[in-house]
Amino acid sequence: MDVESNPETEVVTENGRAHYGAWIQQHSPGALWRSAFREDRFFLILSVFIGVFAGLAVVCFRFAIDWSRLYFLGTGAVLTPMRMLLAPTLAGLVIAALVIHFFPTARGSGVNQTKAALYIFNGDIPFRTAVGKFITAALAIGSGHSLGPEDPSLQIGACLASLLGRKMRLSRDRMRLIAPVGAAAGLAAAFNAPISAVLFVIEEVIGRWSAGILGSVVLSAISSVVVMRWFLGSESMFRIPAVELKNPTELIAYAVLGVVGGLASVVFASGITTLRPKCKALPKWTQYLQPAIAGLLIGVIAMLGAPQVMGAGYEYIDQAMHGQFTWEFLAILAGAKILATMLSFVSETPGGMFAPTLFIGAMLGGAVGGAQHLFFPHLTGSVGTYSLVGMGVLFAGFLRAPMTSVFMVLEVSGNYSIIVPVIIANTFAYVISRALLPIPIFDLLTRQDGLDLPSMEEQREEDILRVEDAMQPVESPVLDGEKTLDQAMAELDHTKDEDLLVRLSPSGWKSITKEDLGKLAAEGKGATKLASLLPVQQVPYLHPDHSLETALRYVDRWPIVPVVSRADFRKLEGVISQRGVLERYREFGET
Amino acid sequence: MLISLSILAVIFFLSVTGLSRVYHDQRASLGNRWFSRGVADLNAKHYGTAVTEFRAALLYSRDEYFYQLNLAEALIGLGHTGEALAYLLNLWDREPDNGLVNLELARIMAQRGQIDQAVRYYHDAVYAAWPPEQEGKRRNARLELIELLLQAKRHGDAQAELMALAANAGDEPSLQETIGDLFLRAGDYERALGAYQTILKTDDRNAMATAGAGNAAFQLGRYPLAKEYLERVASENPNDQESAQQLQMTEMVLHMDPLRPEISTADRNKRVIDAFTAAGQRLNACPLPSHDTFGTTGSAPTLIDEWSNLKPQITEVGLRRNPDLAKNAMDLVFRIERQTSSICSAPTGADLALSLIAKLHEGS
Repeated sequence: MDVESNPETEVVTENGRAHYGAWIQQHSPGALWRSAFREDRFFLILSVFIGVFAGLAVVCFRFAIDWSRLYFLGTGAVLTPMRMLLAPTLAGLVIAALVIHFFPTARGSGVNQTKAALYIFNGDIPFRTAVGKFITAALAIGSGHSLGPEDPSLQIGACLASLLGRKMRLSRDRMRLIAPVGAAAGLAAAFNAPISAVLFVIEEVIGRWSAGILGSVVLSAISSVVVMRWFLGSESMFRIPAVELKNPTELIAYAVLGVVGGLASVVFASGITTLRPKCKALPKWTQYLQPAIAGLLIGVIAMLGAPQVMGAGYEYIDQAMHGQFTWEFLAILAGAKILATMLSFVSETPGGMFAPTLFIGAMLGGAVGGAQHLFFPHLTGSVGTYSLVGMGVLFAGFLRAPMTSVFMVLEVSGNYSIIVPVIIANTFAYVISRALLPIPIFDLLTRQDGLDLPSMEEQREEDILRVEDAMQPVESPVLDGEKTLDQAMAELDHTKDEDLLVRLSPSGWKSITKEDLGKLAAEGKGATKLASLLPVQQVPYLHPDHSLETALRYVDRWPIVPVVSRADFRKLEGVISQRGVLERYREFGET
Repeated sequence: MLISLSILAVIFFLSVTGLSRVYHDQRASLGNRWFSRGVADLNAKHYGTAVTEFRAALLYSRDEYFYQLNLAEALIGLGHTGEALAYLLNLWDREPDNGLVNLELARIMAQRGQIDQAVRYYHDAVYAAWPPEQEGKRRNARLELIELLLQAKRHGDAQAELMALAANAGDEPSLQETIGDLFLRAGDYERALGAYQTILKTDDRNAMATAGAGNAAFQLGRYPLAKEYLERVASENPNDQESAQQLQMTEMVLHMDPLRPEISTADRNKRVIDAFTAAGQRLNACPLPSHDTFGTTGSAPTLIDEWSNLKPQITEVGLRRNPDLAKNAMDLVFRIERQTSSICSAPTGADLALSLIAKLHEGS
């Protein structure tokens, strides 16, 4: 089939062209392919290096958090009241000073900053951000602020990737892609879960599946995890309880967990998005005190009986999964952690939301599971199983990353029998969260910061206009290329349409105007076969499921483009014209 | 460019390796410190403190086998079996032939009523690797397994385990006594008697062994031997009520049994009459339905009819004239005792003795 006439073949070619822009225009086609191959290959190799550097950086970050914890909170598993109060408070003062005077870009979780690098700053993230994030987040998490290391790791990875990209003088298109590659590496190393990291970056940062970037993201994620495991071992973050689903009716219990998790996600997200602008609106000098006050209040929560809320809290997730706490206490811990994390986050203390989200989910899951066991003793799922599912539920409801939430639980648990409960619970949580809070937390935070980054959820949900939406029925006769010109003219007696399609044998389409046909007839070619009289170039054809964007490439060059069945290329389903496409876009814009 | 990157990566890697060494050394030291405190508290049965200390140790070395094992033991001590189970299963995955892990898992499974799982872990514990100084634990594991099997009424399995235990038990009296008791509970009275007699060979004044031997002989229906042992118990340990009751019953059986070969004809006839009378009383106290429980209905005579028909003939004269009457009378007595036992309350006194005599002569 002629490449020019097949839009699917042409898409590939055009994408190839789009990636290298003006640089490619200076080269011959052969050189173009060779260079493109070289840059592709180099980018893949660079992805491995990004993974290695990000992995090493995340290992150092983990060391820093643990040393900070030893220094601030002591060596024991039980904290003294003095440390509970003073450690996060004093660390908060230091962090505030560092953030205000030295590292203003280190605030927040880091996910939005990485997205901003991709969509606004052409992949450029100042290295100072990584340094600032490393120091301040390590101090915050180590001293007991209710934040996690994953999102900062993601940003540190993105910063390192950006630095490497700049030093390697990558093209602008590659530079844009390099931040997500580093982000995936950082997140994978922090989370010890490469698949989830890749999915999260695709789902939340890049927003689309693209073969061009997927390979690099996977390579960097895997190499960073290998490095991390080299230094810190390969054990998962929690000991996973035995997971079993004996009775399908138990899925109702998981659906209840999904509903509760969805509501908790809304409370959590609403709390943050309501309080954050209020804290930002306070006089500037209060920014010096906000992290310290948040730390003090977290210390108070800890002293009141919930020291588990301090820090990332992975060890307590582990304990919750193994029946260490009663369901009532698990519910209290979930509520206390929501409060503590809100305090830490709205005070602009640098640190991540992943670990607190998992913590809240695990506690909530355990509480719901425990309570349900009380009323329905025949339920076979352990509290640990509910905790595990609960982590995914909050991930889906709060972070609004439904795919990642499912795969995260699978990857962490290594048990595929949990997939059905996870999907059911996550779906409920996601749907409820979307219904009650239409804009996801990351997008709300972005808008509060005055940025307009593309919303991945909106992109996912966006309606795609297709050829069938703008296609018109065939009213004028379709001419047969095997017939003579006279026969064709006879068919056109009552036709007012000017543009006509000619079906070729065995396949293919051409077009001609009624006026041109008349001219040919006047030249005395009435007995000649129509196909031999038409121009050489065929008309491309489209299928009803092609996007209107694809159609736009052709409708300006041909007045009408045939829309044919995928099963039979000679069967005409309709025609599409530039006017029809633009009309459909206009209607879509008005709705 | 790639070379520069590689050199940079190697330098970074080496630096992190150095840092990692410092980090891991420090954590190992902190972990050991907390672990030592935990072990001291575990030995002192301060389970709560021990759990906190082992948890602190695990903060620094989450995967350390012995930290987890000791934490699991402390958790079991504290009654947190759910969490202990999670640790133990994790440890089992890593070292499936560790005796202590299998034993603890078996105990938890037994507590949870998962008998098959418990038996599997007990077996693994019995055949697992134990340090030489803990060899006794292997035997204890088997004893616990037997106890579990007996509780689960899997007497056949228990007997098999007991035979394996007895084969390697040696002559240690306390163990032989335990083995004897367990054989008794498992219903293998012959081997129980053998175990007690092994003890009595070296210590014929052992009261527990004598009582056990008496009990085993009683259960085997060896009443003269049982009487011999039980009389010794009665004289040496008058407070042993159970043995005293068994002795009383043994004497009653020996006194009432008309089928004993060494007694005279007159004595036998007298015993037959007594037994027949006792059976009649039992029948009156426990009226059987008009048709008996074995489905004999309609025109078949009931036990009461049979007893009433035979009654006039069961006299000393009648028995002397017709020696076969004794056998018929005792057959009827045994049938009455068996059927009344299954319908009315358990027999006592003379009725119990007659039931035991019936069992003794079953098939003869």
